[in-house]
Amino acid sequence: MASGVQSNGYRKPASPCPSSSSSSSSADSDRKSNSGSESGSAERKVDPYGFERSDDFDFETYEQFMSSYLSILARRAARWKDSYDDKRKISRSRKLKRFCRKGIPGDLRPDVWMLASGANARLAEDPDRYKSLLSQNADQAVTDTILLDIHRTFPENVYFNVLSDPQSLRKPLQNVLEAISISNPHVGYCQGMNFVAGMLLLVTKSEERAFWLMDTLIKNILPDYYATNMVAVKAEQELLGDIVKWKLPTLHSHLAALGVEWGLVGAKWFICLYADVLPVETVLRIWDCMFLEGSKILLRVALTLVTLNKDRLMAATNFPQAMDIFRDIVHEPASLQCHSFLQNIFSVTGSMPKSRIKSMRDKCVQDALKS
Amino acid sequence: MASRGGPQRPNGASQGKICQFKLVLLGESAVGKSSLVLRFVKGQFHEYQESTIGAAFLTQTVCLDDTTVKFEIWDTAGQERYHSLAPMYYRGAQAAIVVYDITNPDTFGRAKTWVKELQRQASPNIVIALAGNKADLASKRMVEYDEAQAYAEENSLLFMETSAKTAMNVNDIFLAIAKKLPKSETSGTPQPRQGVRLNNEQGGQQSEGGCCK
Repeated sequence: MASGVQSNGYRKPASPCPSSSSSSSSADSDRKSNSGSESGSAERKVDPYGFERSDDFDFETYEQFMSSYLSILARRAARWKDSYDDKRKISRSRKLKRFCRKGIPGDLRPDVWMLASGANARLAEDPDRYKSLLSQNADQAVTDTILLDIHRTFPENVYFNVLSDPQSLRKPLQNVLEAISISNPHVGYCQGMNFVAGMLLLVTKSEERAFWLMDTLIKNILPDYYATNMVAVKAEQELLGDIVKWKLPTLHSHLAALGVEWGLVGAKWFICLYADVLPVETVLRIWDCMFLEGSKILLRVALTLVTLNKDRLMAATNFPQAMDIFRDIVHEPASLQCHSFLQNIFSVTGSMPKSRIKSMRDKCVQDALKS
Repeated sequence: MASRGGPQRPNGASQGKICQFKLVLLGESAVGKSSLVLRFVKGQFHEYQESTIGAAFLTQTVCLDDTTVKFEIWDTAGQERYHSLAPMYYRGAQAAIVVYDITNPDTFGRAKTWVKELQRQASPNIVIALAGNKADLASKRMVEYDEAQAYAEENSLLFMETSAKTAMNVNDIFLAIAKKLPKSETSGTPQPRQGVRLNNEQGGQQSEGGCCK
């Protein structure tokens, strides 16, 4: 019999994958057994957020990056301490925006996210809300859908995959998602919210804060990404295409000629707000800006990913090559270098006036409603 | 595992044609679509496979006699609300695998709905395969083999029960699809793209065949 399956059709990322956690492709996340690895102690196999590192984790690139990033972190921590030693002084201001763009120190992050997003003010107005939501029963069909995803959320993270661990975040994740579904009946539960809520739990280590941040995202910060009709997500992808056409017209027409539709690019980017897509540190730095400045940041990130990889995308000669590049760019060293990446999202994307983005988005929403 | 060269010809077959087909996986959430793809593409299985958000794109190549078949695979999200995104992924597809979970009759019902939708809205010549996945969980079986097979026959579908966990029938179902796909002799045709009708230069009888060169 002259037939057989080959194993060479799958392409690894062209560069070493610096992230243990992120993957735009479900079949793309290596979670090999750690046994037999000679790369050292247990803590090297798990990152500070609990994500297990794969055997081929590129420590060299990572450590090179961390050695410079640690000094930036120390400097930023000192600046935050000088300015905001008293957390009550944190208020929405131009200075806070500048500070958030340069990164929030890890120990302050949950507080600053709560304050910058307005979640704190909402919590103060209704302090018993989360408790009261937990005492209610979510719609059974919604709960069933949530339950399907609880064990499929960050299965490579020690806080989510060790069932017997009393610190396991599976039950808190279920609680938060159910409370969100009751608090936002027009949303219920949309697959992808599990990764956002999961990341919020890893950072805040508090169910209640994770709930308030997610609730505020849905109600006040994001376009209607999680609505049942998915119109906002479709529109956002088309909007990205239109922005690329505006900023990088040659690339736009090259990709169009290869058959790349923007609807095929970036659904997970927007739905998961880059959680489980980009390396964890980079996601957190993006969220530092998002909670204060809003969802335009997410478009800037997408445009940055496209812009930084313009030459590679221009060199693609067919559709699968282009799609492989879109899958792999989130693992590139440039995406791991979170500090310079965040500088890039405000420099390489150029001016993106709010009014222009709004009218472009309105048009995309209209088109998505028609389709 | 990941040799980067061109397609291998393990059985020493002579240089043949290369066909490229777009294949989409559809089915209810958590029936094992991503696990089937992961098994087929990388030979791996994870007990807890991450939920797929949006869709994932992968490629894999199989050899059939003198033909190399390259699958461009769209592995889609299963939750009902993602349904409205599905046409984008199945538009122009030459093949589809509709997956259900043999331990969950609701997922079989959902699979039938997908088949109907594909018959109505996808390319007219699309090759549809029905996969009853999680066949390793025979003790929890809720969908009988004969029932699914009868349904598949009525609707002219390929049918296999599969297990991404044990690898049972996983390569086989992709190979069966590859065999059934029309492999035209047209040479030099540019790769067909989503939604683009492939008219061959000799008169365009076969509307949406694969691309061979």
